[in-house]
Amino acid sequence: MLKAENIVSYKQYIVSISIIWILVIILLGRFFQIQILSYDRYSKKANTNRIRKITSTAPRGLILDRNGQILVDNSPSYVLTAIPGELKNKGQKFDIISSIIGLDSLEVSKNYKKYYRGKFLPTRLAKDLTFSQVSKLEENKINLGGVYYEQIPDRYFPSKVKASHILGYVKEVDRPIRKNLGNKQRYELGDMIGWIGLEKQYEYYLKGIRGTSFYEVDAFGREVGLAKGLDSQNPEPGNNIVTTIDIDIQYILEEIMMGKKGVIIVGNPSTGEIIGAVSAPDFEPDLFTGLMLEKDWEKVLRDPDKPLINRMIQGLYPPGSIVKMVTATNLLLNPEFDPNKYQRCDGHYQFGDRLFGCWQSQGHGDMTLNTAILNSCDVYFYKNVHLINLNELSSTFRSYGFGQATLLDIPGESVGIVPTSEYMTKRYGRYGWSKGAILNICIGQGELLVTPIQVFNYINLLATNGNAGTPHFVMVDKIPKNIAPKLDSKFWNRIKTDMKDVINHENGTGRSANPNVDGMIVFGKTGTAENPHGENHAWFIGWAELDDSKYSIVVLLENSGSGGAVAAPVARKVFAQISKNTQLSFYE
Amino acid sequence: MNNIHLSELKDVPVKIIWAVAFLTIMGLVVLKSISQHHVGGVFQNPFTKQLFFLIPAVLLSILILITPRYTIHKYAYALYAIGVLIVLMPFFGNPHAGTYRWLNIGLPFAIQPSEFAKVFTLIALARYLSDYNLQMKKFSTIILPILLVMLPTIIVLKQPDLGTAIIMMAPVLPMLYWAGARPFYLFLILTPLFSMLTAFHSLAFTVWAIVLGISIFVARPKRLMAIALFFGNIFIGLLSPILWNSLSKYQQSRVLTFINPEKDPLGAAYQIIQSKTAIGSGGLFGKGWGEGTQTHLKFLPVQESDFILSVMGEEFGFISILIVLLVFGLFIIQILKRSFLSKDRFSSIALMGFASVFMAHVFVNTAMTVGLIPVKGLPFPFISAGGSFLLTCFIMIGLILKLSVNYSE
Repeated sequence: MLKAENIVSYKQYIVSISIIWILVIILLGRFFQIQILSYDRYSKKANTNRIRKITSTAPRGLILDRNGQILVDNSPSYVLTAIPGELKNKGQKFDIISSIIGLDSLEVSKNYKKYYRGKFLPTRLAKDLTFSQVSKLEENKINLGGVYYEQIPDRYFPSKVKASHILGYVKEVDRPIRKNLGNKQRYELGDMIGWIGLEKQYEYYLKGIRGTSFYEVDAFGREVGLAKGLDSQNPEPGNNIVTTIDIDIQYILEEIMMGKKGVIIVGNPSTGEIIGAVSAPDFEPDLFTGLMLEKDWEKVLRDPDKPLINRMIQGLYPPGSIVKMVTATNLLLNPEFDPNKYQRCDGHYQFGDRLFGCWQSQGHGDMTLNTAILNSCDVYFYKNVHLINLNELSSTFRSYGFGQATLLDIPGESVGIVPTSEYMTKRYGRYGWSKGAILNICIGQGELLVTPIQVFNYINLLATNGNAGTPHFVMVDKIPKNIAPKLDSKFWNRIKTDMKDVINHENGTGRSANPNVDGMIVFGKTGTAENPHGENHAWFIGWAELDDSKYSIVVLLENSGSGGAVAAPVARKVFAQISKNTQLSFYE
Repeated sequence: MNNIHLSELKDVPVKIIWAVAFLTIMGLVVLKSISQHHVGGVFQNPFTKQLFFLIPAVLLSILILITPRYTIHKYAYALYAIGVLIVLMPFFGNPHAGTYRWLNIGLPFAIQPSEFAKVFTLIALARYLSDYNLQMKKFSTIILPILLVMLPTIIVLKQPDLGTAIIMMAPVLPMLYWAGARPFYLFLILTPLFSMLTAFHSLAFTVWAIVLGISIFVARPKRLMAIALFFGNIFIGLLSPILWNSLSKYQQSRVLTFINPEKDPLGAAYQIIQSKTAIGSGGLFGKGWGEGTQTHLKFLPVQESDFILSVMGEEFGFISILIVLLVFGLFIIQILKRSFLSKDRFSSIALMGFASVFMAHVFVNTAMTVGLIPVKGLPFPFISAGGSFLLTCFIMIGLILKLSVNYSE
């Protein structure tokens, strides 16, 4: 044994040593490449591998009434999320969730797809869970690996008023919404964004700044603590906004409008502040928060009265006689016009081959401008139509703010129609219309269409000799400059006197708007607007002066009859309430 | 002759001992870092488990050091038989994680018999090749030793354990080379493999056919043999795509995943990516002991054994890798030097075998952690945790030290 000699040559020895060193150098070269040359890349990779960014929703600012009472608040709401990377057996887990929260598992899986942002980012499955649902989910935790829940602030409406068209609502940011946002990076899927109303207008102030924290996660996606060296930022709540709304007045307005269709706006004519406003029918302000049931949504959407439309700013109505002060302004600016000259009203007026009737078919008798306004006589204006040029009339309308947005701080305003001769020609053709159209327009009928907020601005201008502030809902330092017709104060005062007589004269059409409160003087004008779609719209516009304060009002009741009989009594109720409200005063 | 010669021990290669000590301590340092947050008993904690196994490991190597080389030579074939038997044994028990690699004999840890079998096979092969009657210049003489190694290898491959099977085959060619086989014959052993692999690509196959033709021409074998070799290879090459296509899609993918586990992207590819990220983010000096985020956040898989070098790369940086690989290179060179200087053929060939086994381990493991080759479950000698593997390493060290000592009979 072991007798055989070693026969390995030096050459073999050198060959094998060379092979060993070649292999070692290959390996070291590779390590050099990875650790030294590609260090930055792998270092970055190692960090993203282990750090997860978690953001937390900032509470939105509150919306307060003028006295600091809360109109819109936040309340905690539980949201169910899942980390996709940790979620095994999705279907099975969705079924468990579905059985606990009562949301269809198909819906859960739809949400999962809708909110998916990345493998290791929380994806929303459901929201607005109750505490007991969360507890039940917690009991089933063992079967729900990868499912988490978080608390987010949700909108909550603690006051007795709805004010839904004013406050608006927030919507969850989904993929298409986010795509169209200018400042995408500020929003994440599932965030709240003001969608209409004040929530939208003041989104910038209301939205807070989301909090960010960095967690270290292990390979299984489990959080093992805050990441060192990366600062977390707490969420910063949004700013509160103080509105001009008075909860008590708003409440009364809502009560009055219950079951009615129309608009009521009450405000301070000097500043343009709106104390209360209702577009009826409206909807519950929390309709859009929480788990909106499909059937609720269907109901609102299919309602023939269209409660989602904000009539205040989007409803286009023929104004009727309430714009007679515009026509009066136009006439007063004409040197050929004599307001004291009598014009006889026989109840109708022949213009060309057409017969135009007064609302009172037996006629008003001899009328001056003053009696024509307090009786709301149409024929008086027809008989002065030769003094009116359509384009001049339309520019007078525009000087009162009609035909343009009032710059109210609620987005989505309609501008209405103030017809000019160009408009008429464009609409009916060169020979399709005649001067007879002016007869309709000068009494607020025909092609003329206005929004209630324009009418509110118009009455404010009349109440303040053209010095009204732009209508607004939120107390802000600077409100946009309002426009006004340039009129002599003697003309302003003349019109005021006429409007005072509408309420206080024994024949005045607006008598029933007077609450007969000591020291309160009411001014106004009624309107009964004919509309092709049914019953007349009843209008009342006016203001009350009490002590040194003025309160303006616009009442519009759709398809409910004459302004004097229907709308004026509504104004009376409101004026009576205002006189009792000690908190409301606008001493300047 | 059976007495222990104390003078022999003086000749023990100290450099090898230092290298082993350094690597083992290095491994313990890394294992301690991994084990920081481990809970559980001694055998659940890679650090304490490793410490525990070091005791029998060192004792075994000392025991071997004092065993006469004659005895080792004498019982070589018997050990080989035992080796074959023990790798068969797991097949009679219950599968462990779907494989038959582990043998459970009631200890708190399982034994991996293939680790021991690879040493026994190596010694048997060394004995066979050191027979002075052997006519190494004949091609037929190198077939038998290959079959000798193939037997346990095929069993291990069935367990299935591709990594260990590769390690078993790794020393065959170097040992044959050491025993004086013609390099051309060793090349011929590999030809069918190349023919099969290149056959799937027409250009590669053409290039290979030319290389094969030139090699045969230069080596000048008998004309008949040359023709048989060339056309035999071409035939095997042409046949293999046909055979491959006769397999079902399912079988094909099984084979592909076996050869290249990265075909399974969530498994092996993930491991490679995490390993490279850990190593790369370590940079020149590493993140510091216990500070490896990829390691401690468990991004790095099988970190205590197959990917221990990635942990080292992350926590101690390129410097540590450089030192470890250089020490390992010097360790292998020392063994080769002893092999070259050895007086008897058995010791020389066996030492070459051990050097090859260690080098194969290091190369396959390291190349795998940096994504140079597909993932194979192989540990890094002395550094990776693993009971059976640590014991085997120290048995081999005992044998290396023993056979390195020159003596006069």
